[in-house]
Amino acid sequence: MLLTVDALRVIYPIKRGWPVPGTHRLTAVDGVGFSVDTGEALGIVGESGCGKSTVARAILRLVEPSAGKVVFAGVDIARLPLRRMRHLRPKLQMIFQDPAASLSPRMRIGAALAEAIRVHDIAKGNAINDLVRNALDEVGLPPNSVDRYPHEFSGGQKQRIGIARALVLSPDLIIADEPVSALDVSVQAQILNLMARLKAERGIAFVFISHDLGVVRHFCERTSVMYLGQVIESGATRAIFDAPAHPYTRLLRSVSPVPDPERTAAPLVFEGEPPSPLDPPGGCRFHPRCPFVTGVCRTTMPDLRPVAARQVACHHAESLPANEDAP
Amino acid sequence: MNDAPETGPPPRKVRSPGWHAIVIGASIMVVVILAALFAPLIAPHDPYAQSMLARFRPPSAEYWLGSDRFGRDTFSRILYGLRITLWTALASTVMAMVTGTAAGILSGYHGGRVDRWISAANDVLMSFPQMVAGIIIVALLGPGVTNLIIAIAITTFPAFYRMARSAALALRERDYIDACRVLGYSDLRIVSRHILPETMDDMIVIATLWLATAVRTESSLAFIGLGAPPPAATLGGLVREGFDNLLDFPGLAIWPSLAILVVMIGLNLMGDGLRDANDPRTSA
Repeated sequence: MLLTVDALRVIYPIKRGWPVPGTHRLTAVDGVGFSVDTGEALGIVGESGCGKSTVARAILRLVEPSAGKVVFAGVDIARLPLRRMRHLRPKLQMIFQDPAASLSPRMRIGAALAEAIRVHDIAKGNAINDLVRNALDEVGLPPNSVDRYPHEFSGGQKQRIGIARALVLSPDLIIADEPVSALDVSVQAQILNLMARLKAERGIAFVFISHDLGVVRHFCERTSVMYLGQVIESGATRAIFDAPAHPYTRLLRSVSPVPDPERTAAPLVFEGEPPSPLDPPGGCRFHPRCPFVTGVCRTTMPDLRPVAARQVACHHAESLPANEDAP
Repeated sequence: MNDAPETGPPPRKVRSPGWHAIVIGASIMVVVILAALFAPLIAPHDPYAQSMLARFRPPSAEYWLGSDRFGRDTFSRILYGLRITLWTALASTVMAMVTGTAAGILSGYHGGRVDRWISAANDVLMSFPQMVAGIIIVALLGPGVTNLIIAIAITTFPAFYRMARSAALALRERDYIDACRVLGYSDLRIVSRHILPETMDDMIVIATLWLATAVRTESSLAFIGLGAPPPAATLGGLVREGFDNLLDFPGLAIWPSLAILVVMIGLNLMGDGLRDANDPRTSA
């Protein structure tokens, strides 16, 4: 396994209260585990605030993990001193949600890409320029882009620049945090195709974080569904999307648009908002919104367990009524 | 601002707000700085040459703005006074800008304990009114141009520190700084190549505004006798010397005061203009 995340926890101390603020613990990520193999794409889906971005940031040490293991290429990087982590970073890159914000505004594209190469001593002299041009070519940008500033490019082009900046370091794994959700639909497809090509040709593995099930279904072999800091269903993308086993996955799928004019099933309407991660409900975290809730759901937190060729965290995964809109 | 589409008619050239203020302020300062630089060529008299026969002369063809009680030419002394005053203001502001920006970025980017300690020290410094702090520091260090520069720099430090700290705090949360960390850049590189250049615009604008304050602080300290020691001519010192004979020969205090006023107006116009031009809210 290229990347194995095990029991990852991220706890933010936050100050709340008046007149004397107390320190509360906000558990943004609560025991998340998954693994990604070389050249594979894993999707992480969930609604906003479920902790999926925090998982990405904790793997990359942009926030400090509070507990758990992140084993990348055989090294546990969750506890590694940041200084030593720097040497591993070229192999573990990231693509950001807002391509405009992820580029230094005052740096020409060529300089930005060359800086990454120089810092890691990947090439010297003219070889740097060749690497930069090759990377730009690979993401479909003209060679004269090197002399231009980020604001001269469109959103999709900026995202290509972000990808090129990761590519010059020859990464083994790219963590893509909502890489296309800030882009127009037509541009989304181009960026997704580019990433699919990199996966196929360069064998780069992806952790693909998104709230857009359609995009994940298109790109990822396996998918983990997160709810309130936990993985509640995980397995092959096709199996999960065709026959979701967890009530929350069903909800997610029913509200995501499907390009099928014949399909008329009304979206499931579940009650309520996701609860605050400051004060998560006891038992199963989904129980206040779940239509199939029983007594055991309110008292006991379900563990992930194998059901129908996937992992599901639901007490009643086998006994739930069949999917009413199954294909 | 630069997101204009490539098609369509070329955009009309719009002058940024504050343009007039910058031009007028800069013109005043060019004249003032040239006058100070070429003082030895312009000044009709040696500013330190005393003459018991030419005391308290009224303005005339020989003494354009009159002479003081030692018979020294007021106009020449103002020209030479500009040199010391401008040098003091410039040196102290640059000193405050460099140290304040460095400490502010360190504080804002690093956060945690370093930030708490530097901020606490800065708060102590800020709790003194600028003049009082200046008086205390000059009194501790002793008079002299160098000590004056240090004193003004210390009292101006908080302005730059706070500005740089808040800028670094905001930039630290930006995606492209996260991107730098993911790319494996060292903290030193991130700060010097990616944060510092972003803050420089703001720092230069406030430096121009604080330059005016530095001129005023220098004049005020000189006026209460803590400036460059006599016989050196500084604008504040000239006002003080003239003050002794204010009722009989008011020109001795008024002319250098007017010189201070002109410098202040020039610097403030420039600073305000730069600020308006730099402020995205006013540059629509």
